[in-house]
Amino acid sequence: MSDPIVFTGSGIVCGAGGSVAEVWDRLERGETAVRTFTQFDPAKWPVQVASEVQLSARELVSDRKLHKTIGRTDLFGIYAAEQALADSGLPAHRDALPESEQEAWNDRTGLVVGSGGGNYHSNYDYLPLMTEAQGELPRFGQELGNLVTPMWLLRNLPNNVLCHVGIRGQYKGTNACITNQCSGGVLAVAEAAWAIRNGEADRITAAGHDAPFEPEMVYYYHKLGLMSGSAPRPFGAGRDGTVFGEGAASLVLERESEARARGAKVIGEFLGFGCCNEAAGIVDLAPDGNGVSRAIEEALASAGVAKEEVGFICAHGNGNRASDATEAAGIRRVFGDDLPPVTAFKWAYGHLIAASGIVDLVMALEALRRGVVPGIATLDRVDPAIAPFPVSREAAKPRGNIALLVCRGFGGMNVSLVVRGER
Amino acid sequence: MAKPPQRKIAVTGLGLVTPVGNDVASTWSALLEGRSGAAPITGFDASGFTTTFGAEVKGFDPESAIPDRKLLKFASKSHRFALAAASQALADAGIAPTEPDSHRWGLAVGAGMLSVGYEDLRVVHRYAAPDGRFDADGLMDPDFPGNPLAFCRWQSNAGQALLTKQFGIRGYATSVHTACASGGQAIGTALKVMRRGQCDFMLAGGFDSMLNPLGISGFCLLGALSKDNDNPAGASRPFDATRNGFVLGEGAGFLVLEDWERAVARGARIYAELAGDGNSLSCYRITDSPPDGNGPIQAIEQALGDAGITTGDVDYVNAHGTSTQMNDRSECAALKAVFADRIGEVRVSSTKSSMGHLIAAAGAVEAVVCCLAIRDGVAPVNANHATPDPDCDVNLVLKEPAKMKIRAALSNSLGFGGSNSSLVFRNPEEVQA
Repeated sequence: MSDPIVFTGSGIVCGAGGSVAEVWDRLERGETAVRTFTQFDPAKWPVQVASEVQLSARELVSDRKLHKTIGRTDLFGIYAAEQALADSGLPAHRDALPESEQEAWNDRTGLVVGSGGGNYHSNYDYLPLMTEAQGELPRFGQELGNLVTPMWLLRNLPNNVLCHVGIRGQYKGTNACITNQCSGGVLAVAEAAWAIRNGEADRITAAGHDAPFEPEMVYYYHKLGLMSGSAPRPFGAGRDGTVFGEGAASLVLERESEARARGAKVIGEFLGFGCCNEAAGIVDLAPDGNGVSRAIEEALASAGVAKEEVGFICAHGNGNRASDATEAAGIRRVFGDDLPPVTAFKWAYGHLIAASGIVDLVMALEALRRGVVPGIATLDRVDPAIAPFPVSREAAKPRGNIALLVCRGFGGMNVSLVVRGER
Repeated sequence: MAKPPQRKIAVTGLGLVTPVGNDVASTWSALLEGRSGAAPITGFDASGFTTTFGAEVKGFDPESAIPDRKLLKFASKSHRFALAAASQALADAGIAPTEPDSHRWGLAVGAGMLSVGYEDLRVVHRYAAPDGRFDADGLMDPDFPGNPLAFCRWQSNAGQALLTKQFGIRGYATSVHTACASGGQAIGTALKVMRRGQCDFMLAGGFDSMLNPLGISGFCLLGALSKDNDNPAGASRPFDATRNGFVLGEGAGFLVLEDWERAVARGARIYAELAGDGNSLSCYRITDSPPDGNGPIQAIEQALGDAGITTGDVDYVNAHGTSTQMNDRSECAALKAVFADRIGEVRVSSTKSSMGHLIAAAGAVEAVVCCLAIRDGVAPVNANHATPDPDCDVNLVLKEPAKMKIRAALSNSLGFGGSNSSLVFRNPEEVQA
């Protein structure tokens, strides 16, 4: 029979903390890490909150030489991926192998990363040059080398986390960098699992990272009516938008037989996933949530899991009126009235865009491990247009050891993952 | 370990917008002749940059290629190339998503690196950084004309979103970016998605356009571009000893992939079997590939293994061949290591010698080239090669295209950041039904 694909390490960094335990603590205490932001002066802004990572660059990546050649988002990705790798024990395992076997081991070790793809502020390196050039392009070209760092392109490569985690750890196997907006991180996990199933690699680190919180992003999200002025209230009657977070999460995947053979701890199992598009445009949503229900059905079918076996649902729940309403409709279309507990975590650490789904997944695995579904601490009352819908302020008990995750994104994207907790 | 038999995937449609032609036929004839698409840049005043030329797409009329005006408003230049090349590919295949099967259609694209438009950045500069220092409060100026359309275009999966909407693709959809390997990795992703049964049809390809002031700046700063400003047409000379950098191109390439049995059943013209995919990470330096080919070697070997063939079955290699010193040396070292005593028999060319380097679109465009080479039994030339480099002594197709039966073709894409992608395409006559 096929060898299950298991998770043997996890890593996380977001506004709510720099470890799974720290973030869990906040979720359990119902304490949001959304607060007045500090990266720029909020005084004149209609939105004044975000969930910012509190760790310094040095705390995230100790090698200071690297700081000059990567962006803030990359610091998060490298931190989470290396935390997950350390947690899995794989680097130590490799280093204990006879030297003659290490090269082959590295060739069979992959990396799949979901990346936000870019940031507005990276272009701000050109602003002094623009002042100098005063709108004259020839002058812009002539002064380019004097006023912009030669490292500009390298510092802003969307695939930097892939590259640097690879170089630092010599993981040379199959790889991908997925730039599918919100879906990047969860698709990284799904593609990693399939690559191992197909024998392309023996073990893969999947990661998702993003730093969407920056002035232009806040400006445009606000202009499109997508931003709240306070911590999001997923599925709540008074919900009025989302709030940015930033950070990364990572999971190490390998075959169960190999994990057991090297005595690794297993924190969960990948069972299946679905990925469906609504063909609605860049920011539009299908009004009936058909992408959500199709993704969930595809995920359950690929996992071989009946809907009754789902212990709880970790929803995307970004706090936007239309997104949450269509997500609830899509979930209900699959589960009918027999819904397991539903929760969503963005009230605690904001919306991490490319990292959002994988951060949620890491915390969903922790919820299974502890047998507790954290409540939505900011929930006022369930939106009557959605109710009855099993979300609550209070923690619930999962119905079983399987979690179903939903992640939605721009471009009509809907991804659903089914995972089992540790056995 | 023997692999279980895998689902066979056919290539049944091709589409191209490149610096040497705005469709498949015109591009292909230019590549066979080795005609260069490089010339002084016309899209903006590049006179002050260290490199003043590039390989621009010429005479492209988005409105005739993309009738949906509303969609066009959301589309950047590279998205427009993508929409045009993708509709060519679907028309060529003679199939398109319909309501009942739209959820079995997928999309995988290699999308270019995000770069905000120069004019958009000038607006930000005017309001938020007149003295060069960014002050976020400038965006709160009531007159700041922030354009939500520009914001939408800037989303990392905007091109993907426009493509799924335009063609009604409702299954798996994704965008990947591993710099110059993006297009190859997108097609590899599509192959995997189809093999595992998640889709029955896929549109796979890549699109990019960095021929704008900010796009070209990054490469000028890095010193990666050829500065042969007095000889644009001869500047891209992969594997030539005097090569001195790549020529920046732009465009898009798309393939329609479908289940082999279905394609046969509907009597589709099959260009090739998309037979194998290989990926590796060089873990060496960000911009350079290791001189000994360690990294690319693994990708090529994986792709051959995945296709279930050996080096003895490969007749043509469409090389990454960027015309930089390091890339071409590393790639040749890899080819020599993998092909060993067969290296003299396999014909090699880099069509970047004509088209320039299409970055995230390169792997996709070159995959289309491999399919055409198989169809016509001819390998396109490696243009501009005059001075042999002893480190690059592979059997290049020089001066004339090489008429030959191509049983299998290999396409390499090696990216900044160290991602390597190799794809194997097999001649349909070689594929056992």
